[in-house]
Amino acid sequence: MQNNNAIDLLVEQYFGGNKYDEMFTPDMHVKPGWKALSDKLNVLGSKELASRQKDIDWMLSENGVTYNVYNDPKGLNRPWNLNIIPFVIQEKEWQQVSEGLKQRVHLLDLILKDIYGKRELIKNGILPYEVVYGHRGFLRQCDQIKYKTNKQLSIYASDLSRGPDGRIWVVNDRTQAPSGMGYALENRSTAGRVLSDVYGKIHVRKLSGFFNDFNQLLIKASPKQIECPNIIVLTPGPHNETYFEHAYLASFLGYPLVRGNDLVVRDGFLWMKSLKGLKRIDVVLKRVDDAFMDPLELREDSHLGVAGLLDVVRKQNVTIINPIGSGVIENSGLIPFMPAIAKYFLEEELKLPQIATWWCGQEKEKKYVLNNLNKYVIKRIDRSSRETIFFGEFLTKDEKNLLEKKINREPYLYVAQEKINFSTVPNFTDGQLEPRNMVCRAFAIAKDDDYKIMPGGLVRVSPERDSLRVSNQRGGTSKDLCVIGDHPAKESSKLILSERPKYTASGLDDLPSHTAENLYWAGRYVGRSLTVCRFLRMTLKQLVKVEQDEYILENEKLNILLKGVTQITNTFPGFVGTEKKKAVTDVRVELESVIFDKTRIGSLANTMAMFNNSYYAIRNLWSSDMWRVFKIIQKSWASIEGDGVANLSYNSIIKFLDQNITRIIAFMGLIEESILVNQGLLLYFTGLNLEYGILTISKCRALLTVQTQDNVAYEILEAFLISHESLNIYRYSYRSYITIENALGLTLLDTTYGRSLTYIVSRIQKDLAKLPNKINKNELSSYEKYIFEAYSKLKLTSKEKLTELDTDNVVYRKNLAILLRDLSDLLFNTSQAISDTYFNHTLKQKQLNSQSFPL
Amino acid sequence: MVFSIIHTTRYRYNAPISFCHNIATIRPRVCTGQEIQSFDLQISPQTLDLSERLDFFGNNITRFSIQQQHQELKVTSKSIIIRQYASVKASFFTDQCKKITVSEALFSLKSNDNDILEAKQFILESILIRNTSDKIKQYAEVSFLPNRSVFEATYELMQRIYTDFDFVSGFTTVSTPLSEVMEEKKGVCQDFAQIAIACIRSIGLPARYISGYIETLPPPGKQKLIGADASHAWFAIFIPGFGWVDFDPTNNQIPEDQHIVVGWGRDYYDVPPLKGVVFGSGSSKLKVSVDIRPASEAQKLNIIL
Repeated sequence: MQNNNAIDLLVEQYFGGNKYDEMFTPDMHVKPGWKALSDKLNVLGSKELASRQKDIDWMLSENGVTYNVYNDPKGLNRPWNLNIIPFVIQEKEWQQVSEGLKQRVHLLDLILKDIYGKRELIKNGILPYEVVYGHRGFLRQCDQIKYKTNKQLSIYASDLSRGPDGRIWVVNDRTQAPSGMGYALENRSTAGRVLSDVYGKIHVRKLSGFFNDFNQLLIKASPKQIECPNIIVLTPGPHNETYFEHAYLASFLGYPLVRGNDLVVRDGFLWMKSLKGLKRIDVVLKRVDDAFMDPLELREDSHLGVAGLLDVVRKQNVTIINPIGSGVIENSGLIPFMPAIAKYFLEEELKLPQIATWWCGQEKEKKYVLNNLNKYVIKRIDRSSRETIFFGEFLTKDEKNLLEKKINREPYLYVAQEKINFSTVPNFTDGQLEPRNMVCRAFAIAKDDDYKIMPGGLVRVSPERDSLRVSNQRGGTSKDLCVIGDHPAKESSKLILSERPKYTASGLDDLPSHTAENLYWAGRYVGRSLTVCRFLRMTLKQLVKVEQDEYILENEKLNILLKGVTQITNTFPGFVGTEKKKAVTDVRVELESVIFDKTRIGSLANTMAMFNNSYYAIRNLWSSDMWRVFKIIQKSWASIEGDGVANLSYNSIIKFLDQNITRIIAFMGLIEESILVNQGLLLYFTGLNLEYGILTISKCRALLTVQTQDNVAYEILEAFLISHESLNIYRYSYRSYITIENALGLTLLDTTYGRSLTYIVSRIQKDLAKLPNKINKNELSSYEKYIFEAYSKLKLTSKEKLTELDTDNVVYRKNLAILLRDLSDLLFNTSQAISDTYFNHTLKQKQLNSQSFPL
Repeated sequence: MVFSIIHTTRYRYNAPISFCHNIATIRPRVCTGQEIQSFDLQISPQTLDLSERLDFFGNNITRFSIQQQHQELKVTSKSIIIRQYASVKASFFTDQCKKITVSEALFSLKSNDNDILEAKQFILESILIRNTSDKIKQYAEVSFLPNRSVFEATYELMQRIYTDFDFVSGFTTVSTPLSEVMEEKKGVCQDFAQIAIACIRSIGLPARYISGYIETLPPPGKQKLIGADASHAWFAIFIPGFGWVDFDPTNNQIPEDQHIVVGWGRDYYDVPPLKGVVFGSGSSKLKVSVDIRPASEAQKLNIIL
């Protein structure tokens, strides 16, 4: 017995059933392949493992590794789980699996070529025509398209599980937009760090070579053999379940992450709308499903693809990986015919066994399936989503009848499969090793005339002991797949992308306009969050000085400040009221709503939510520090949501705002140091400064355009300067009693003070001049004209003029009010003109005839 | 018979469209009993980005884009078509066609011969004809008895659809589900063709959708108005051992010279005359006109290519 006490403790209650376990023999001996790892785990012991698991959890959360779940009650971005115990497999065994996978992907490539080419398999009776023609992934629009790449199937993923005989079986083929490579890479990078001492000693094979080849694959796929083809990663967007991975791969490989509306087809080519203009695209790594790729020829209602794209593919002016139409290979109807196909194309036997499958398109098989419905898992040949998988044994009588009817009506659409015989693998849970069902995803990419298999992969295990389902959507956890050898590998150990193209899309000119827009709004929302937070904090600090709420509205100063809250957040009627609606009287309720009601437009919580969204959409530009601060902000808001708010004292709300302000500032600091100017920081600054400018104007309008009694006026001025974070500067600069002239001089007209409006406007002017898209050097662009006018208005006035009172209305500072109104319009127009010039998404894509058919 | 056909589709927008991508299935295909003497396509605004190809079903597809700002899109096709359908039609009434029974047909379809294989794809469900209800099947089974001639069964089905369904334009759109048409028994030529196709497929026989035009004749003594004709749709059934046979349930007849074929597919989705993606805001108004008349008459009237 090799186990020492530590591992004995770890596995006290390990065996529940008599399943095949990866690590242990039925009498609890460690299998030879796992000996090396087990020894290392023994040395570490339960406590150390628990602490390292914590490190992993922390790192994943730090790096913002997430997995979105559609309609998840817990919200988007569920954290990704990685268990500390890797799944290890001996190089020798992996070699066999790899050979089998190579043969399989080679066959699938031939099948794909045949389906969209000569269709010999059907003509020669090897494959029934319904398996192809009845599959909704068979896109007739893609028929007979010729490709320049040697292999039509460039990327392939396969779900594998170990059968009761100890052999590894193929369960599913993924070809349309295979996911998981990015997660596998992230898992390795995390586990590799936390277990570096273990990994080194058990000789874990590196992934770097594979990803290097992957990059080469993309470069060589370019229809024109040029040194630096333009490559992009096409994502459906932040709501997609694997968006993290799209962003991760894009930033790892150094290619722009774009969405369908960043692209356009013109003159037979595919172009990316960048800040500078249109940029020709040669290669698309697609993560959008086939049917959504071209609303002209495929799904009409899709906004994820590009109209006219298929014709660019036909003209061989762009390469899409994998090609549109490859979804037909994700086809469980192919499985029963794979042995015959292997004979037909290669005169070989299948090297990897596959899950037993009966295709109901054959009379005999259909009868058998209908008579044995209880024993099997029934699914459509073209769908493998959870909703369309039926476990025969769990169906009610009615469900069973319905299913039988469906099978009888369109038998060719259904297969029955044996329930997967999962092997179990140890999972570290609550200080113990626990057996969990596992599935592993392996990856292949085309390389020259052959395929290359990733020496690793993504292992997913069930969320609970004995659970049948293994899926990340169901909240399972993942493991690093380690191929281990007896000796260190010969390959170089560093993760270098050797022949990386010199061109990387990091220049401002190449910035996808969508990213530019998100950066711009990120700037605006962060500016708004911060300014609103500060104003609210200042107002609350004044409120707490009043002992009872009833007195608040009688206090002129507080009244003005509260009205200011409504004006700055634009949450009318609020404390101001409108023509139709009176102002509110319950101060506490209104303030709570303006601060915490996420659903109220303009509220702080709402602004913070917009802030979250705009940042999440550009997460490929983030550093991990940014993610940490971002998460802390999110957490603190989540903790205060709901019933908690009513019990908070004003002082606790002030404390909460204090923290929020500090974190936003930390976040802003990180943005400025982690994103390059060329990556669009300029747009962020433009947004930020425009927002600062707009809100400074709106604060002045709320607080300073009307003169009040001296003592109130003084307090208002003080409050204004506090909310503007300028009281100290004021004291330093003027060393005197606060006057309206000096306050306006400092906050509006000063040319050297960073928070003064003149300074901000001149900064915007300088930044805008650096944007591409200059048509005429001697002429200002539309947006520049507005900002120039704003600047000159500020330069042409004086503090004396601004403080003058109106002759008819002796408490009204008319000049100031007019200037502020004009400036507000000009800044608004600037923003509008920037959007029109650079964020060219205002053009809505529509169908000529409004119709939408599900493909 | 030689026909002159002018087919104009015009979209007017209330706000400028910055560009658009379009696909037209509008050039008539050559098929049994039909030859194309000439074809001309005019698009306004003019465009250089235009290409033609054959689609999966052998139809002529024209793809074009307009990359300049415009507020009106006008697509006009002018064709001279020679129709000699009488002998084709006569062949349907021969014993060779009529003798094949439903059960014989179903048996023959098990073969993997090339033409049978080619036809069999039209048995499967398609984009617009899928998940058909039991009602469809029951409706079909009244006519399609195992020992009955396929031709006669189909003829009867056509007659029943003609009698049971009311021609009501505007009641359905291209995306009205078939079950609703079946329930309400109302629709236009597309709907009737697709109901018939669904019925035939529910029996297990291949049926396809045919898109084209039909020449209408003015009431006796009246002059025919220009542009008074219409796009039309009907269906064809595949009878193994004989071939495809066309039926027009809207007019309760086997097509004549007046039925001009543009293309065919599994259902309307495969052969829409004009579709596209436009970029811009605002809404559009559509106007379609079709004029069909004997080429000699067209020449006289100076409705000329």
